[in-house]
Amino acid sequence: MEPKKTIINYTHRQAGHCESGTTSNLLNFYGHKLSEPMAFGIGNGLFFSYIPFLQVQFAPMITFRNFPNVVFHRSAKYLGIDATVVKKIKDPKEAMDALDRNLEKGIPTGMQVGVFNLTFFPPEYRMYYNMHNLVCYGKEGNLYHISDTVLEDTQVISYDDLLRVRYAKGAFAPNGKMYWINSVPKELDIRAGVISGIKKTVYEMIKIPFPLVGVRGLRWMARDLKKWPRKHGYDKAAFYLGQIIRMNEDVGTGGAGFRFIYGAFLKEAGELFNHAELLETSEMMGKTSNQWREFSYLGARNCKSRSKPVEDYNMLGDMLLKIASMEESVYKKLDKIKI
Amino acid sequence: MMDENSNPVYTDQRYGQSRELLYSYEKDGNYEKTVGFHNEADRITIQQAWDHFNERIAIAREKVLAGKASPIVYFMEKNLVDTLTLSMLAGISLWRVKWHFKPGVFKRLKEKTLQKYADAFNITIEELKKVE
Repeated sequence: MEPKKTIINYTHRQAGHCESGTTSNLLNFYGHKLSEPMAFGIGNGLFFSYIPFLQVQFAPMITFRNFPNVVFHRSAKYLGIDATVVKKIKDPKEAMDALDRNLEKGIPTGMQVGVFNLTFFPPEYRMYYNMHNLVCYGKEGNLYHISDTVLEDTQVISYDDLLRVRYAKGAFAPNGKMYWINSVPKELDIRAGVISGIKKTVYEMIKIPFPLVGVRGLRWMARDLKKWPRKHGYDKAAFYLGQIIRMNEDVGTGGAGFRFIYGAFLKEAGELFNHAELLETSEMMGKTSNQWREFSYLGARNCKSRSKPVEDYNMLGDMLLKIASMEESVYKKLDKIKI
Repeated sequence: MMDENSNPVYTDQRYGQSRELLYSYEKDGNYEKTVGFHNEADRITIQQAWDHFNERIAIAREKVLAGKASPIVYFMEKNLVDTLTLSMLAGISLWRVKWHFKPGVFKRLKEKTLQKYADAFNITIEELKKVE
């Protein structure tokens, strides 16, 4: 007997960021052309947080992105899309059955997974990181067809492997989280989505009264960066600096800690509404992202020769402070804009 | 900034084989999308992280072979997790995990506890007991 085969006609397109790419691809499946930067901006994926007392991979936790599933959830909310998010399924078998039922109905389903055991993932990125997103769009016998937006082509994965990555444990454990779109309105109100998305991003970057998130967190990290060589020695300081750059340029950021994608979003929105000020902010964001590039380029030289720093840590810290004020001016400008 | 060579910095041949979508901001004010390999900075830091991990794994291995630590320590480092994450992975409380790091204690562990660790590391109990 031939194995049962259900494959949905789903278009895989590569994207910079896993979750916004997933959101954009899912919306495309339902007939709305929403580009990846637009999904990223509306779902406000941009974020910054520096948590020195939490260690991830033996270095302080630094994140340039928002919490998992925020992009999909918020873009669905702001665009008025009827979507279902199942946050937690206790029984692994039930979670796989739910996925099977969805595939039978012809619904491509997004899932949060951990990457450490993900068989098709590039080996250099297989660390403990539980915030990856992918879409399952077909089943063939024991194999599931997966569209992973970070990779160029679609992939297949076996039942056991998929179950393992869906129930990866550790920080931000996925717990079998899955999400899909039920129905989409005929006309998407992009303008309202862009307004709410920008408002929320501005709030999270400059208005949260807590010193470790947003631009304030960036400044805090810059001041800490100057202290690292004296506090921990050059070896450890280089590893910590490496952590900043890894989080900044690592897989699925599209480069410069998502700042390029956000700039592209501002540009696209500005062109769509013919809005001069938005285009101006997009230009500012582009310059900031190029500064980030410069920072990681200079910082990486320190990581290469770790016992003797090539670049001065004070200089790198000052550079980060400059980037922080550049970013702050972008958000302050965005705050005043009327769209 | 981007060069087409896939593997100039990595020591492991398997690394750096995948190409991905990257955004960039050009001088003329446009955002460009390119599919390519990662830039120099990212490669250096990724290799730095793996150097760090491999160093830790080697140290743990020496310790286990010298009889100063239980094989759990080696497999913990090999899976790139810290003690807290291992306690979450295996479903065993933190102080008990630390207690099991002693080789004497490890020898007396029950089958059930060993199975929990083996499941966490995705190996069998026999593999867990010996380190090469």
